[in-house]
Amino acid sequence: MLDVAKGDLGAFDEIVLRHQKLAWGIAYRFVGDAHKAEDIAQEAFLRILDAAPRYKPSAAFTTYLSRIVTRLCLDHAQKKRPLPADSLPAVQDVNPSAAERMAVQDRDRAIRAALDRLPPAQRMAVVLRYFEGLDCRSVASAMETTVKSVERLLARARHTLEPLLADLFRE
Amino acid sequence: MRCEQVRLRIDAYLTGELSPQDRSIVEEHLRSCDGCRRAAAAARKFIELGQASSIPPVPEGFARRLAVLARQKAGRRVPAGASWDLVVWWRTVSMPMRAGAAAVLVIGLATGVLIGWNTWQASAAPPAQAAAQADPLASYNVDYLTDAPNGSLAQTYLALVSTPAQEGK
Repeated sequence: MLDVAKGDLGAFDEIVLRHQKLAWGIAYRFVGDAHKAEDIAQEAFLRILDAAPRYKPSAAFTTYLSRIVTRLCLDHAQKKRPLPADSLPAVQDVNPSAAERMAVQDRDRAIRAALDRLPPAQRMAVVLRYFEGLDCRSVASAMETTVKSVERLLARARHTLEPLLADLFRE
Repeated sequence: MRCEQVRLRIDAYLTGELSPQDRSIVEEHLRSCDGCRRAAAAARKFIELGQASSIPPVPEGFARRLAVLARQKAGRRVPAGASWDLVVWWRTVSMPMRAGAAAVLVIGLATGVLIGWNTWQASAAPPAQAAAQADPLASYNVDYLTDAPNGSLAQTYLALVSTPAQEGK
C-alpha cells in the first residue's frame, strides 16, 4: 500500500490479485447477484486506490478491505432490496453428477433465501463470520462495531436462520 | 454464567477464540445445560455450513479491468488496442492458457532456430567442395594429364570432367 501511495500501479495490481477473492466473496454472499457484487468489489479497490496516500497500516490489510466492502454492501442494502434466490447463477463444480449439481444449487438457493430474510447488519455478520471465516474481532473491525455487538448480531441471526435451514442441518 | 451470556459466546468458544478462563466457564455450563448444548451444536452446524458452501469464482478478467480503470484514473496512457497489461494478463489467466501460450512460444522459437540453422548450413559450403566446384581437375587429382597432347585420350577425358564453363577452351 505504501508503494501504491507513491503511484506504483504495479503494486496496486498485485494487491487486487491477492485480495480479489475476499472482496468478491463478501460482496457476492451479501448481495447475491454477480454483477452487483463485481461492481461493489471493483468500487472497493478503487476507493483503496484513492485513499492510498492517506493509508496508515494500523490493522491487517484484509481487515481494511473487509471494512470498505462491508460499508459498500450495507450502503447498497439501504438503497435496494436483495434479489430473489432464483437469480443465482449456477456454481460450477468440477466433474459433479447432475444430481450433485442440483443438490448444491438447492443448498445454495436455500442459504441465499435464508440470508435475504435477515436485516443487513445480521446478514453481514453472518457472511463475514460463517462464510468468510473471520474471527469475531475481525468481524467487529470490518463492521466498525464492538465484539459484543457482533456476538448479539450472530445470536439473533442464528435464531432466525435455524428454522429456515433446518433441512440442511439434518443432512 | 447465565444461558444468555453463554449463547453469546458460543461462536467464539467453538473457534477457540475465548480466553482460557472464559472457555472453562462455558464448558462447565455446557456440561449441565441441555439447551445451551443444543445451541452449541446448532452454532457448529452454521460453521460447517459456511465452510461447505460455495460461490462462483471471481469473474474472469476482474483484475485486468481494474488495472485499466486504475490507469485511466491516474491519467496514464492505456496502450492503443491493448486493454490489459501483459503481466496482469499472465497472472490472471488459467493454467491451461498459460501452458498453451508457453508452448506456442517455444514451438515458434524452435522453428525459427531450425530454419536459421538450415539456411546457415546451406550457405556455409565446406572448402573442399568449393574448391571442387572452382577446379574439378584439382579434386580428381588428374591435373598431371594437362600435359597430354591435343586429340589424345587423356585430353578427351579431361574435357569430360571439366566444368561446362571450360567447354570449348
